[in-house]
Amino acid sequence: MQASPFDLAQALKDEGYLIDEESATTLFLSLALEKPCLIEGPAGVGKTQLALALARTQNRKLIRLQCYEGLDLNKSLYDWNYAKQLLRLQLAKTEAWDEIKVDLFSEEFLLTRPLLESILSPVPVLLLIDELDKSDEEFESFLLELLAEQQVTIPELGTIVAKTSPIVILTSNNTRDFSDALRRRCIHIYLTYPTLEREILILSSQAPELSDRLTRDVCEFVARVRKLPLQKSPSVSETIDFARALKSLRKETLNYGELMGTLSVLLKYPKDIAKLEERLKKWETETARRLE
Amino acid sequence: MKLVHALRRVQVSISSQDILDAQICLDRYPDLSQKQIFKSLFIHQPKDLTLFEMIWRILFENPKSGVKDYSEESINNAVLEEKQDSSGIGGQGVGRGSGGVSLTAKGNIVDSSHISNLIPFTRLEELITRELDFEEMVQTVLAEMDFYTWINAYDLAYQRSELSENNWYTHLDCRAAIIQEVRQQVMTAQVRHENSWEPLARQHWLVKPLSNLTEEEKELVKTSIRKWARKLALRPGSLWKTGHRGTIDISRIIQKSVQGDGLLFHLSYCQRVPRAPEMVVLCDVSNSMASFVEFLIYMVTCLRARFRKIRVFFFIDGVWDVSNFIWDDDLEGVKQEIKSWGHKASSGFSDYGAVFRELAEKWLREVSARATLVILGDGKNNYRSSQTEYLAQISNKVRNIFWLNPLDLQDWNQPDNSMKDYQTYCSKVYRCRSASDLQRVVKDVF
Repeated sequence: MQASPFDLAQALKDEGYLIDEESATTLFLSLALEKPCLIEGPAGVGKTQLALALARTQNRKLIRLQCYEGLDLNKSLYDWNYAKQLLRLQLAKTEAWDEIKVDLFSEEFLLTRPLLESILSPVPVLLLIDELDKSDEEFESFLLELLAEQQVTIPELGTIVAKTSPIVILTSNNTRDFSDALRRRCIHIYLTYPTLEREILILSSQAPELSDRLTRDVCEFVARVRKLPLQKSPSVSETIDFARALKSLRKETLNYGELMGTLSVLLKYPKDIAKLEERLKKWETETARRLE
Repeated sequence: MKLVHALRRVQVSISSQDILDAQICLDRYPDLSQKQIFKSLFIHQPKDLTLFEMIWRILFENPKSGVKDYSEESINNAVLEEKQDSSGIGGQGVGRGSGGVSLTAKGNIVDSSHISNLIPFTRLEELITRELDFEEMVQTVLAEMDFYTWINAYDLAYQRSELSENNWYTHLDCRAAIIQEVRQQVMTAQVRHENSWEPLARQHWLVKPLSNLTEEEKELVKTSIRKWARKLALRPGSLWKTGHRGTIDISRIIQKSVQGDGLLFHLSYCQRVPRAPEMVVLCDVSNSMASFVEFLIYMVTCLRARFRKIRVFFFIDGVWDVSNFIWDDDLEGVKQEIKSWGHKASSGFSDYGAVFRELAEKWLREVSARATLVILGDGKNNYRSSQTEYLAQISNKVRNIFWLNPLDLQDWNQPDNSMKDYQTYCSKVYRCRSASDLQRVVKDVF
């Protein structure tokens, strides 16, 4: 682990992730206290990317659990290999029943899912529980034991404690709120859209083929678009795609009048695109008036 | 410990483990900012950040220290040029304001560190002795700074296209920063005056009346309603039960076969718990409900998203079925619809008797006996006949009637209010005017 938040930020930067000082300090403290880190924020601000970059900086194997509605223990923690158990029963007709009974619920017949895999892993891992807000509340309650004690309980096998302490990162898009019990066990980071200066740095590092002028133009434009009341504001990744789209159309600067057709790269809802197209006309007039 | 006490007083939950963690970090990393350490370890939800900042400033930062006189001569940070003549931006005249500093002469103040210097501290101390409530004090201070004239001038300039969009956004940021700063200063003054955290606790979004919430607080309430609404409905899919048909339940088959010496005797099946409860919502959208209706509609929106069988009716003096009307989360579409429907088909004054009559005669036969009726309204009948027999008829048909009323209990006895007549026919009646009331109702009823 790095010695200070500054070192952590620097290591993340080397892995292509630019983090602000405040978030770096919080993340550093969560690593120092070996507590799970809950990262919240709107879609596309780099929550998952932060976890991926962190795994690289800490030289840890990444184990990812993508959450969705209906996710249960059989898909996230463990399942019994029923087919194999049936086969075992068929082959063991002549054996004593007591021996088979114990045997059937041993690790031999256990299918490990991401959570158990991270607990059993002999090498240090980073467990990313992505978009936890999409899962059900029952699943959230189940996670409490893992988050607080770094252990899980399987009724047939007992409690299994983590071999190496995993770094746990949880992400959420705030589609629902979490219980206080879960929040209390985590250190919390709220990521928002980057400032203009930070976004210019991000875009320059992610798409170095763009000219400085285009990079600045795109970032200023996106910052302006984010102030509009849209259903979904453009994310950082959409800014990068949008800038690359302009580059592939051989644009070196951004002109409001020449953006029709490219806006769908930036915005994903037709209602938002229509709203922006309407606003572009106004901005174009404003710019023309200023130039006069 | 002062900080912990204050945060706990305003319902920020801080455990002993959090305090221990903070102690460890302070010892181990003395170079890190203390504020940052406390913020990282004590704040578990984004909505508590504002409270933390407010308390930190009250405890550890004295706004009066280091204040430079923000006199007219020293203003050099305006984005827009200052007018030398008497007309400000938007063509309005510039005032002096009775607080000693007027915003109308200043243009947009971009450096937020200067904003605190605009607040007249001596005036705050005077106002505090008048025992105004928090919102009244904030409004008085803003008015004395000429804030409202100032923002009107900018609104006007923007409408006339005299202000570019960039400058408009800068102005909006500045506006928000000034309000925030005034709120901070008024709160600081009140906390010091009462020598307790009670004024801050009273401002918690959960206990404030829904009609007084700021935009940010409204969002918090909406998020919470969404969370509570999840609990209201049993969604098919999360629960399974064993049955005679459905999906083959292999784990259960194995469990059974183990009991029978490893031989398969029976196949087990499981199926999802299928039925969601049935609900009928009757929501008053008349003028008297205007300040609460946004949350009630939002609650209806959340309920609608969660319940498969839900009928939604809006009413004023007639009933309007909106079960199939689609609206977005921003509620703009539905607000517009209510407005136009209200003008077309109603007097704007609620008539509960007529509404229950219409519901009983026209819609009741389509409602099943298993349904729960939720009435969202203030019970103000505007001196019309309460016609309780129709609510009695509805009450006999449906399983439960729950009434959520935003008015305080003593207002239910006003002469134009029929709550006392209707109350007897309801399973339960609740006062529901704040987010914590909503939370309590959700826990209690559902």
